[in-house]
Amino acid sequence: MDLKKLANRSSLHKEIISFFHNNPSSIDTPRGVSVWVHGDLVKVRQVLEELAQEGVLEADKVTSTTGYSYTRNPKIISQIEAILKKTR
Amino acid sequence: MESGQGYKKNESLIKLLERKLQSDQHKQLFEKLFGNCVYFLVEDLGKLSKNFEKEISRCKIFSGSGIDHDTCRASISEMIKKSGSAGKIGRFSCELGSSGICYPIIQGDKLYGYLVICRAEKQVSDEMLELLSSFMDVSLSDTQKESELKKLYDTIRPRAIALSTVHTLHRLISSTLNLNELLPRIARLTLQVMRANRCSIKLVDSKRKTLLPKSTVDLRAKITKLKKVQIGKWAPGKAVKFGKSIRGRDFLATPLIDEDVIGVITVYDKVDKKPFTDFDEEIMKTLCEQAVIAIRNAQLYKDQERMTIGSIKSIAAIMETKAPGTFLPKASFLKLVHMVGVELKLSEYELKCLEYASLLHDAGQITLPDQLTNKKGVLTGEEYNMIKEHPQKAAIILKPLKALKNVVPIILHHHENFDGTGYPNGLKKEEIPIGARIMGVVGSFEAMITHRHYRKHMTIKNAVEEIKSNSGKQFDPNVVRAFLVVMNKKGILKMLRKEIYGSKKISK
Repeated sequence: MDLKKLANRSSLHKEIISFFHNNPSSIDTPRGVSVWVHGDLVKVRQVLEELAQEGVLEADKVTSTTGYSYTRNPKIISQIEAILKKTR
Repeated sequence: MESGQGYKKNESLIKLLERKLQSDQHKQLFEKLFGNCVYFLVEDLGKLSKNFEKEISRCKIFSGSGIDHDTCRASISEMIKKSGSAGKIGRFSCELGSSGICYPIIQGDKLYGYLVICRAEKQVSDEMLELLSSFMDVSLSDTQKESELKKLYDTIRPRAIALSTVHTLHRLISSTLNLNELLPRIARLTLQVMRANRCSIKLVDSKRKTLLPKSTVDLRAKITKLKKVQIGKWAPGKAVKFGKSIRGRDFLATPLIDEDVIGVITVYDKVDKKPFTDFDEEIMKTLCEQAVIAIRNAQLYKDQERMTIGSIKSIAAIMETKAPGTFLPKASFLKLVHMVGVELKLSEYELKCLEYASLLHDAGQITLPDQLTNKKGVLTGEEYNMIKEHPQKAAIILKPLKALKNVVPIILHHHENFDGTGYPNGLKKEEIPIGARIMGVVGSFEAMITHRHYRKHMTIKNAVEEIKSNSGKQFDPNVVRAFLVVMNKKGILKMLRKEIYGSKKISK
């Protein structure tokens, strides 16, 4: 997986990745995340699912919702750190 | 007014104001008022801002003068001192002969710093100074508002995000009443929130002497064995004994407190190797409060489930005393019904309802006269009609048991046929509850392979063929397909043969 390409797929991708990178203890629903990144709920939901499939986020699915949280994989985290540093 | 040194200062505010004044919009305004001037903010008397070097190098007079920065700085510092002491706008001419202004940035009793404008190309009139004064008041007021908003944002946002996390956790952990699902989920989510490497949940045993390990998530290379812990020993035991968090550098044990302490959640080794903090302790307390409610709910649900099963067994036992070997379903029937349900991907709750319905599906026959129940011969038409009423009778008997609300429809309709030719309501296709359609197939199969007083049992092979030939007529084709898959599974035929020839009844 090319994390740089993934992060640059849209500004929303970068916003969401940045949100979880800066708040690694956060677990939130698509609705919650859409508030923090000021994004459209439907688009946020799609990007969250995409990021979970790529291993950047973890998804805890229950009947009524899904909780997304940041990966614990140190390799992914350090790569993201480098990507975000460049774009700051 | 106090002297310059006595004023309270707000460093972040002056920095914000400095940024604001560097915008194109402000630059244009300064240019209109004073020509191609140089301006910068000074926070303290005699201490020029970082922008000084940059701005002063833009001064054409300075560049060609051969005067060094220190001389220029000393000249401006002197002017600031004068202006600051007076608390008024000061006009000046620098060493190089350039005219300028020193504007003390004051609001109320606070002196925030100074705006220094060098090399004003135009003559600075009183009207211009008045205009500058109003402009600076507005800019300072705006900056203050921005600063307050920023502070509010910086303070509230992390707490709002934490609150949102707690809310999400609550939703995630209260969505199941199954303890075997709940505890690993709590452990996993705790690990995620605390960014720790290990989380262990222990619950107090019934004798209240030891803590039993119930769920552990360990991401470390060397995995610790799950151990019982005596209450009062080690961090988890102490947390339970004293009913409060026990924190060390690399561990944090938080008790699960309901009316009494029911267990403990312990997290170990933060990913960033930092020690656990007061904030971590607060978060864990909140998380444990959520967890304890979810655990108690799951335990209560389990107790209720045990009571329901107990009631069902009591009903079945009463039925069995009336006509031994007649009403209790065979183990094979229960197993086949369950396996077909699993094959059709029914939820855990639907499977539970199906299990209860399987145990009680003939409960209505308890209302039949003994001579009919025990009759050894072919039934008359009238007798058959009485037997056909047993699903409705069962529904009437079981209706008061609210826990069986979703079980009753399965029992009521387990003799309906897929093509609408069954009883009691002649329901068709999906009108018939899925549990009832499953019981229809498995019940018919069981009846065919069971010996009756008035007829011999069919072979398993022939009974399966009979089910197949009635697919889409008496039986739901999807259920038949699932049934055939189950019949091909290892051990099924052996189990059925043993039951037919051993004719063992179960007492589940």
